Amino acid sequence: MTIWWLVLILVAIGSSGIAFIWLAVRLNNNALPGKDPNASLEDAANRDVEHIFNEAFREELRNRGRLHFEKIIGENAMFLQQDLRLTTSQLNEYMKTEITHKLTEEFDKYEQSIMDAKQLAIESIQKTNTAIDEQRAAMSQQVQQEIMAEKQQLLERFESRMADVVNHYVIAAIGNQIDLNDQLEYILTELEANKQAIIEDIQHGT
Amino acid sequence: MEPKKRTLQLPVSLVGPTDLGRLSRELANIDEQLLQLKLRQPGGEVKLPKTTQLMDQLLSLNRLNLLQPADRTWMREAMEAIRQNAPVVQISFSVDPSTAFLEKLMAWLRREIHPYVLIGIGLQPNIAAGCVVRTTNKVFDFSLRQNFAKKQDELQKALLSAPAPTPAPAPVAAPVEPAP
Repeated sequence: MTIWWLVLILVAIGSSGIAFIWLAVRLNNNALPGKDPNASLEDAANRDVEHIFNEAFREELRNRGRLHFEKIIGENAMFLQQDLRLTTSQLNEYMKTEITHKLTEEFDKYEQSIMDAKQLAIESIQKTNTAIDEQRAAMSQQVQQEIMAEKQQLLERFESRMADVVNHYVIAAIGNQIDLNDQLEYILTELEANKQAIIEDIQHGT
Repeated sequence: MEPKKRTLQLPVSLVGPTDLGRLSRELANIDEQLLQLKLRQPGGEVKLPKTTQLMDQLLSLNRLNLLQPADRTWMREAMEAIRQNAPVVQISFSVDPSTAFLEKLMAWLRREIHPYVLIGIGLQPNIAAGCVVRTTNKVFDFSLRQNFAKKQDELQKALLSAPAPTPAPAPVAAPVEPAP
């Protein structure tokens, strides 16, 4: 069965080939005896081309091509614009995120630095205040001691010089109030008491 | 018989060496003027030299006559001797002493200490009262200041033992009469 089918197919193919060759020879025999068959074919093809692709058809094709090209260009431009917008948006978002992140980090560092400096300053101020308080206390104590010593010294000096003060005051108060004539009796009494010493000194001195 | 030796008596108004020097210069001046009068021609106007009160007292006290050259010579020699040998005592007072006071003091000194004693007057206002006597080698402080200094311990004890003074009551404002 199969072989028969195969033979049948081969016969059919052979018949078709023979028919094709015969047709070709026939066509070749029908051509003009003085002209090249190829040239007639080219002329026919040219006539068909000129007939099919005339000026209007070409203008239409150009218009269609221009429109298509403009459409493609517009679509590409739109895609490019969308991509550009998207890229710009993503870039802005990225830049925003990165800058925010960086700024946050820097601000954190800066804040940390400020906090550290503040802490150092506070510690330094506290130490200084402590030192000042201690020094003030020591100085106050020293001043108190010196004041007490000075007061005691003044008091002792006043007590020791109190009699001098009173004497000076009395002398200054009554010095010019006592008449010299009233003092004559006192002076003569004192001279009388020391008369012998005065005489001896005068005699020896003389 | 040997003549009695005369001594020059100084008036109490003659106090110090300054007065003695002034008297010496006055005596020399008088001597010079009398010598000039003696050299003048007779018949001319005679103008006797004037003497100071101190010189008058000295002359009166010693009964001397300046017209007698012997008296002037003796007086000059006596004053020179006194100037060279008289003891000088420096006495300082708190104020300038009056003449009457000095005369009383000089009378006592001439009577009790030495008949030719002279004094130099000084001023020390800080002694208040009394005087400070300086002889040749000693100082006798009879001032009130020295007296206070001697009794300083007693004054100090008295001041320390004295009770503290009570504070004086605050003055009360006089009542204001209501307005009519």
